[in-house]
Amino acid sequence: MLSYRRRSASTAGLMNFSVLLPATLLTLSCFAYIFWPQHGTSHAVEKTRLDYLRERKEVIYENLRDLNFEYRAGKYPDDDFQRQRELLEGEAATVMTEMDSLEV
Amino acid sequence: MLHPMPSFGSFSLLIALALSAYTLFAGTLALFAIAKKRSLAISAEHLLETSRRAGLASFVVISCAAFALIWAAFTNDFSVDYILHHTNRALNPAYKFSALWSGQEGSLLLWAWLLAAYGFVLRLRHKVDVTLSAYASTILAAVQTFFLLLITFATHPFSIVPGGVPPADGFGLNPLLQYPEMVIHPPMLYLGYVGFSVPFAFALGALMMRYPGEKWIHITRRWTMVTWLFLTCGICLGMHWAYAVLGWGGYWGWDPVENASFLPWLTGTAFLHSVMMQEKRGMMKSWNVWLIFITFLLTILGTNLTRSGLVSSVHAFAQSSIGSWFTGFMVLTFAVCLFTFFYQRDHLRAENRLESLVSRESSFLFNNLVLLAACFTVLWGTLFPVLSEYVQGSKVTMGPPFFNRVAIPIGLFLILLTGIGPLLPWRSTSLRAVRRNFVLPCIAILVTAGALMFAGVRPWQDDEPTSGVYALLCFSLGAGVITAIVAEFLRGAAVVRAQTGKHLLASAFLLTRRNTRRYGGYLIHFGVVVMFIGLAGSAFNQSKEVEMGFGDSLQLGSLRIVCQSYSQDSNANYDTDYAILDVSRNGKAITRMTPERRFYTASQQTSTVVAIHSTLARDLYVVFMGRNPQTDRPIIKVFINPLVNWIWIGVGIIVFGTFIALTPPLTPATRRVEFHERSRIGGLPLLKEPLGTLGQAKAAAVESGHA
Amino acid sequence: MPKRLLQLLGVCALAFTMLGAGTPATSFDKIGHQLMCQCGCGQVLLECNHVGCPVSGPMIEELKAQMASGLATGGILGWFVNKYGPVVLAAPIRGGFDNAAWIVPFAVFGLGVVAVLMLARLWRQRHATLASANRHETTAPHISDAFRDRIRQETDLP
Repeated sequence: MLSYRRRSASTAGLMNFSVLLPATLLTLSCFAYIFWPQHGTSHAVEKTRLDYLRERKEVIYENLRDLNFEYRAGKYPDDDFQRQRELLEGEAATVMTEMDSLEV
Repeated sequence: MLHPMPSFGSFSLLIALALSAYTLFAGTLALFAIAKKRSLAISAEHLLETSRRAGLASFVVISCAAFALIWAAFTNDFSVDYILHHTNRALNPAYKFSALWSGQEGSLLLWAWLLAAYGFVLRLRHKVDVTLSAYASTILAAVQTFFLLLITFATHPFSIVPGGVPPADGFGLNPLLQYPEMVIHPPMLYLGYVGFSVPFAFALGALMMRYPGEKWIHITRRWTMVTWLFLTCGICLGMHWAYAVLGWGGYWGWDPVENASFLPWLTGTAFLHSVMMQEKRGMMKSWNVWLIFITFLLTILGTNLTRSGLVSSVHAFAQSSIGSWFTGFMVLTFAVCLFTFFYQRDHLRAENRLESLVSRESSFLFNNLVLLAACFTVLWGTLFPVLSEYVQGSKVTMGPPFFNRVAIPIGLFLILLTGIGPLLPWRSTSLRAVRRNFVLPCIAILVTAGALMFAGVRPWQDDEPTSGVYALLCFSLGAGVITAIVAEFLRGAAVVRAQTGKHLLASAFLLTRRNTRRYGGYLIHFGVVVMFIGLAGSAFNQSKEVEMGFGDSLQLGSLRIVCQSYSQDSNANYDTDYAILDVSRNGKAITRMTPERRFYTASQQTSTVVAIHSTLARDLYVVFMGRNPQTDRPIIKVFINPLVNWIWIGVGIIVFGTFIALTPPLTPATRRVEFHERSRIGGLPLLKEPLGTLGQAKAAAVESGHA
Repeated sequence: MPKRLLQLLGVCALAFTMLGAGTPATSFDKIGHQLMCQCGCGQVLLECNHVGCPVSGPMIEELKAQMASGLATGGILGWFVNKYGPVVLAAPIRGGFDNAAWIVPFAVFGLGVVAVLMLARLWRQRHATLASANRHETTAPHISDAFRDRIRQETDLP
């Protein structure tokens, strides 16, 4: 770049070119990339109720696994564990019933 | 005169601005059309795709601008004003690279570049959830547009020097910044700062589109954790730099800029914890949304504080007018957040309520409270001078004495909670089941306190007992928390051993792999405690400052330091003055140290190079302060800083723990694997997945690999 | 038990906030750490590490002179405030609005604790009423054995 500056004024045209060319190329390639015809665009899939329920079920399952684990690690007394498990199983059953009704 | 590379850089910035603006407007239009089910001249999906591509392209274009600036630094193009002021010919190439962020204009360019890089990754992985990613991409584009506007119109990095004729050499880089960590610390910190834009964009986007369920948290979890890791590393590298370079013997001075980086760390940490409540139990949705909003706003506030000259700080860049830009942006962001929140608040209703005061949930509540109280305190202390000037007409200083008095108790509470929280199970519980889990940690606390007192840590005998008492409390609580963590590992490992029949160590390993997030988290807690122990060591610092001629010696604690000789050296970049000191204990030589003082010719500034001899127990920290102008004898300041190494070890453990927490967990095998086919429903592609937890969990793991 | 825990927490909080309210010992080191060097380095007076710092040297001399004159801590600090303005103090300790600096963080923390406790109570009460209203829904009876079996097999650890 320093060498550029040492050149005489007669090379001004060339320097103009060296300024403009990369900028133009960059702009054109951006345009080309953005508006290039699209094949197989990933369509915005609306999340269905079933998707939502599947996520819920997985979360409840995860909670149940945790509960089982923590019970075995001695963090719940028996009655507390039973109650918690039944609650979570109830939640899971509700979700799964709805899932089954949607899946049919 | 024409300047091809700076012109290219300037032009790239303009194109990037246009691309970001396009991403923002096309994205907004398309998402609006999709949400309101309106039809546009072209399909909304196609418009959205062009928006995404423009966002991807903007990263490439900003990279070109950043490259142009780095190129200018490496080719010594002093026709660029910024390069003239931040480099010189003799500068080491690595530091030429760091010129990119050593000034205001360059650091904002770095900010925009990193934001574009995060956006690039997000847009590449848009298939995780196309619509949500489109929302996040559009919101990120808004932030990026702001920064590009700022760079283009307020602090242009490619300004040409007046007259356009470059001087022969640059003014050089601030010598304090000529240190290896300074090449990593700012980008790390910025990666952390900028990274919080991503979870922010996802949270705001999820709220705007009324995203059903908590999956967005799952998608952003890795983003948040990686960001948090970067911020943690950035802050700690800054601490280490301050310690090893500034030569005042400490690592944290409660300077406004340090505080500014600490604020989003505190709220980000709170977010990482409380978001688990939402993921697991569907609670605290509004709270989490606000936590991440606030975290993002704090990152902007931090940048604002550094640059606007609102508070005085040694870190501050040259004062400039860009403060008003930041203030305007913050107000706008806050308004958008507030509006979205009120407009969509019914979407954030909780699914569960707290069942017991003694549960993991409530411990998270308290954890959030303490972290936010700490955040408020630091913010309060940082901004109080401004408030005081407004109320009583005089500026005051909020120095280390204030923060040490106020923040340390909060820190101790935090350690306490770190210990208690993991011992409590989720949902309701009676304390009776976990009471015995507290026995061991309590014993550890008492035994440690007793042992320390026996060993001579009796702060109440000092003139100034406060710091000693805090240290004693910190050591004891730390021992308790470490015991609790180890016990927690062992309890888990015992369950795994009962299942698999492996020995305890293998079981603990398997346990960690099965639940990387939880046990990685415990490791992080362990690291934090180790770090706190190191911090508490500062209560026992000793120092001495003396003039030392040849053969003079000084005694500090059990160490004897003898001055062997002085010497001078010089190279193209700087001249050095250094001392050669021999350190011994009880007549036994330990090490030889050579603290330096450098004079940088280009910038006409001096800086110290500290000599540090580290062991696990203490750092011997020696500073060559310079020469006494009257006697021309060198002045040496010696510090003994106990336990400093523990801080850096703690940071290492935190980083390791975060990596563990980031790795996808092994699937917990369950008894039965069932298979059954799913039919195509609605607009869903056919999912042919083996059900049963094994298959599902695998699918989840693959998915989370995308997240 | 929770009540006892709360009491314990209260005592701890009180202990923390009361610490450091000990007797003021007029020592050079202590006062030197309550003052800031005014050269713009942003460091505590005795920790300013510029050799030949045009400000910290004379300030330390002034401090020594004031101590030699037998002034009490408050008097010495007051003398420095008169000469350099309130920014010379490392922390605001002049009373009046300065007190707000110290009180507000603890007040906010205290209010936060109260707010969290009240919130927790409110949630628990609401949960209790919900639970009693939905007792029949949330407990086991209506889950079929097949479902329960499936759930247990899919979530139980081997």
